[in-house]
Amino acid sequence: MLNNLISEKLVKLQIEAGDWEDAVREAAQPLVDENKIKETYVDDIIKGVKEMGPYIVLTKHIALPHARPEAGALETAIGIATLKTPVEFGNKDNDPVKYLFCLSARDTEEHLDALAELVKLFEDKEFFGLLDRTTDASEVICYIDRKVKGRETDV
Amino acid sequence: MYKALVCCRAGMGSSMLLKIKADQVIGENQFPIQTEHGNLDSLMGFDGDLVITMDDLSAELKDKVPYALGIRNIMDKAEMKAKMEEYLAAKEGK
Repeated sequence: MLNNLISEKLVKLQIEAGDWEDAVREAAQPLVDENKIKETYVDDIIKGVKEMGPYIVLTKHIALPHARPEAGALETAIGIATLKTPVEFGNKDNDPVKYLFCLSARDTEEHLDALAELVKLFEDKEFFGLLDRTTDASEVICYIDRKVKGRETDV
Repeated sequence: MYKALVCCRAGMGSSMLLKIKADQVIGENQFPIQTEHGNLDSLMGFDGDLVITMDDLSAELKDKVPYALGIRNIMDKAEMKAKMEEYLAAKEGK
């Protein structure tokens, strides 16, 4: 589940980034530090965007930086980063990007449930309200925990 | 039933989220489309009817696949529905 892939150390709030590349590197750094991905994985994210365009920008103001597993995904994980000042990725429909969810995935099955949860979070205005307001990573983790567990008990 | 490949460069992130949303739209509208997902490599030897991908990628694929359906905003169900209807209308017209 999503709450197992995100941890306080992977959340970085209100970071300052000069451009999209900088934003991706900053957002991915906690995953490098926590041994979820190798540096080469970050390079592959950047390379992908340069070669294929800003396809990692999925919806308004949200990017999902990710690369091919063989580029250096060590463990499945999701990081959350918010930018103090949003940056342009060159995606005219969804720019500027303010929220980055850096994904490390080793295989597709392992994180399918978590991604379904993530899609639900993308629809959650309260969640983005919290991201705009707080600088406390533990608050973000608590919120996700509560949401995911809340849904489990709904079933 | 039409067979769609939902893909992105890595086959891990965008394409999985795109598949989740595409399946929701297909289910709600009961479109005769069946999805599977993969990366750009799975395009080789793909014998289905259309490819669903992020808009930036679809421009590159246009000449290589039977039909490329490019999505700009994965959370916008109306966009996805309209583009699937457009595809189905084109098919029915033939």
